[in-house]
Amino acid sequence: MKFKDYYAALGLERGASEEDIKKAYRRLARKYHPDVSKEPDAEEQFKAVAEAYQTLKDPEKRTAYDQLGAHRPGEEFQPPPEWGTRFDAGAFSAEDLDLADLFAQLHAGRGRAGAARPMPGMDYEIAVPITIEQAYHGTQIDLDLNLQEYDEQGRLRRVPQSFKARIPRGASDGQRLRVPGKGGKGANGGRAGDLYLNISLRPHQWYRADGHDLYMDVPLAPWEAVLGTAVEVPTPGGPVRLRVPAGTRAGQHLRLPGRGLPRPRGGEHGSHGDLYGIVQIVVPGVVSDADRALYQQLAASASFDPRAHFVEGGR
Amino acid sequence: MRIELSEVIWLEEHELSRSELAELSGLPVPVLEDLIDAGAIEARPQEGGPAAGAERFGGAAIRAARAARRWMQDFEIDARGLVLALSLQGRVERLELQLRTLRARLPNGVR
Repeated sequence: MKFKDYYAALGLERGASEEDIKKAYRRLARKYHPDVSKEPDAEEQFKAVAEAYQTLKDPEKRTAYDQLGAHRPGEEFQPPPEWGTRFDAGAFSAEDLDLADLFAQLHAGRGRAGAARPMPGMDYEIAVPITIEQAYHGTQIDLDLNLQEYDEQGRLRRVPQSFKARIPRGASDGQRLRVPGKGGKGANGGRAGDLYLNISLRPHQWYRADGHDLYMDVPLAPWEAVLGTAVEVPTPGGPVRLRVPAGTRAGQHLRLPGRGLPRPRGGEHGSHGDLYGIVQIVVPGVVSDADRALYQQLAASASFDPRAHFVEGGR
Repeated sequence: MRIELSEVIWLEEHELSRSELAELSGLPVPVLEDLIDAGAIEARPQEGGPAAGAERFGGAAIRAARAARRWMQDFEIDARGLVLALSLQGRVERLELQLRTLRARLPNGVR
């Protein structure tokens, strides 16, 4: 079994008071809780802090933990022989047991001595980033989880589970899927926990999603915007021709109905969101002599003044 | 060996009773009652008004109840604190949604 330094996890000395432990936990929970923290490793950090607190806040567990003495974090150690009785774990094998699981069953074991009440399995929630193409077509993802569950003797174990989950088409950023019964197994007839998949869309080189609508930039040359044209643009369902009306201005939205992401099971406004092309007028970085001459000719003859409203507004 | 998952459900498509919501979220029933009474967790609007049938809770209620259960366990806060936290969380989510909408509409390089 690998040693974990619960005091260090909370930033405390071994002689810390109960109040110190509570304060340290609250401070670190506020810092690392996945619901409030934006730090990349927040979830792992919070798990370590919560695991330490679950043991140190309980006087009985803390005493048992203190009896282990000090070791280096990660150092292999052998628990005292009497722990088998204390933790109702029988002849446990320390090699395949996590320290947190052992402490977690200190009270669970006591509960089993009385009426064995059903204990639901743990729910698990995981982030599933997918691409816009995967959201459009649907996809399958491989999930490798380390689930905490009770074995036939009622002992907590971590059991690796591998699933292949189907993400149906129509997922959008922030949506959640529930996979019933695929969390940890229950004990004493308790229901199995659930697995929750939190969908997020990875940034895309062209598309930006807003619900099931997509937005993308459509660069146009100045003459295309003035004269109008038809341009080919990519969409998740394949390229389409987009008609650009004459006199199109920068920033205008050109709508392609039904070319956005599909909605789950259709939806009230049709089966897909829309795709909006946002017009950008792009000028060439390098201009040939011939083109420059044409621009100069245009500048000399055109009556268009894009700043006329400055003059009118100043009057 | 890999297992093919046969049942994957959009959270938004759930229709749960109050007791089912408590069971699914792991939130104690008295705490859930407090949160519903305070309006922090709401049933789906029903055609014909509340008297038309039994209340049903959808995906938004499940998310709120599960968040409340996490915060109750992880931060040791009571029902009054949960009402405040859920209200603030709702505001954060609405603002994030607006931000996402606005960012989607801005050209690349401006965001």
